[in-house]
Amino acid sequence: MGYENILVDIAAPIAVVTLNRPKVLNALSPELIREMTTALGELDADDSVRAVVLTGGPKVFAAGADIGDMADRGPVEQLRRDQTGRWAAFAAFSKPLIAAVNGYALGGGCEVALMCDLIVAGDSARLGQPEINLGIIPGAGGTQRWPRTAGKYAAMEVMLTGAPVTAERAYELGIVNKVVPSEMTIEVARRMARQLAEKPPLALRMAKEAVLKAFEAPLSDGLASERKSFYFLFASDDQKEGMHAFLEKRKGVFKGR
Amino acid sequence: MATEVEQHVNVEVEGGIGWIRLNRPEKMNAIGALTRKQLGDAIKQAERDEAIRVVVLTGSGRAFSSGADVTEMVSGGGMRTPEDVGNVLRTEYMPMLMRLRTMPKPVIAAMNGPAAGIGASYALACDIRIGTPEAYILEAFVNIGLAPDGGVSWLLPRLAGTGVAYEMFFSGKPLSAADAHRLGVINRIVPAERLEEEVRDLANHLISQPRQALAGAKRAVNHALTSSYEDAMEFESYLQEAQAGSAEFAEGVQAFLARRASKK
Repeated sequence: MGYENILVDIAAPIAVVTLNRPKVLNALSPELIREMTTALGELDADDSVRAVVLTGGPKVFAAGADIGDMADRGPVEQLRRDQTGRWAAFAAFSKPLIAAVNGYALGGGCEVALMCDLIVAGDSARLGQPEINLGIIPGAGGTQRWPRTAGKYAAMEVMLTGAPVTAERAYELGIVNKVVPSEMTIEVARRMARQLAEKPPLALRMAKEAVLKAFEAPLSDGLASERKSFYFLFASDDQKEGMHAFLEKRKGVFKGR
Repeated sequence: MATEVEQHVNVEVEGGIGWIRLNRPEKMNAIGALTRKQLGDAIKQAERDEAIRVVVLTGSGRAFSSGADVTEMVSGGGMRTPEDVGNVLRTEYMPMLMRLRTMPKPVIAAMNGPAAGIGASYALACDIRIGTPEAYILEAFVNIGLAPDGGVSWLLPRLAGTGVAYEMFFSGKPLSAADAHRLGVINRIVPAERLEEEVRDLANHLISQPRQALAGAKRAVNHALTSSYEDAMEFESYLQEAQAGSAEFAEGVQAFLARRASKK
């Protein structure tokens, strides 16, 4: 597939998607978002790929939306373009998605990181929602995902002040999994992806769905759904392989069946 | 005709060394509003300038710095209210002190004389301190009814231990250069007439060292100071991986095996 705003590097069993508009700090133009979500759809369908890294490269993750493109638009135009609705591709993505964040992840950029399942941050990372300074609020999940992870008060501070947090602070808040030297961020995320790629894909998918369900459903529904997925996995070859490999003290080889 | 702006801070770049010199000897290098502005600019520039490999912070005349310009604090000059005091710390001192501690190159305090109050905060924020026998450190805040600021509540307990730090903060009495040296707060004491030479020699040696490795050491220490042993080792291990892939390491190993000096 030819993309102009992103790079897709498939090195089975993992793939790396790199936002590639360095001149504008990877500003999230509608074209970039379309390409990113299209690529995610393709990678989700590609059985050779079992985990994906999403990054902005060594310097910056994404410094928000294209403000120049939005400044003079009206609400109906914004709605018609349905830029925020396109994020559904992230929600539908069934494989582990790891954000590798260096430098700024601001506004939409930060929200994209928060849509991922794991976040590896370089020590240069700065995450924030500066929308308030432009007279708007986050529109791609920021106000919802921050409090679910960092809690109300930290989220309020980020939303209301617009000031970004450092990688270390984000780690304290539980917003990122790991802080590493920025030169290593993408490599560490790739390794994490390769580790996950060795796990049984169906179980990964069910585990991911179950955790995400915790943010959506009441506990009783979440527990019921978890239980069903648990039983369901006993119908898979990978469960048989996993348990027998354990008993035989060898490493399981999983096929996603 | 434009009026000439007073130079409270002199900057001189000499063979990879960026000398930042407080230049108010008649006021014992007290730090006022203009000094803060010029010092902030000088430190920022020293971080950015690729030609500067090592930064030296020093004072002209008898003192390193006597601290905040108290006459300015009471007479106006940008600090009239308690809130102003806090704002100046947060918006002016904090960024430049942070910058000294985090810029990816060594920063040496050449302590030509006493460092008091916020002046001591600058000396202690540097990576290495070389001083003269006259270079005492005074946490003078308590003497005018203030608590410590400029990061010394964090730095001094780490450098000298909490007992020494508390005694200084409570008593308002100086830590002599000899005691500071004994405690490891000042790395070396040299006679005043040899200070610049000693600092220059050290700076030149550091310039001859692999640049990225020094920056890595500084990053590792800064990370470690706020993290657990385990986190620090993990951070180090990744930093080392990055460094192990560098030209500096390739050359360093080649030189070691060939028993020659490495090219830097």
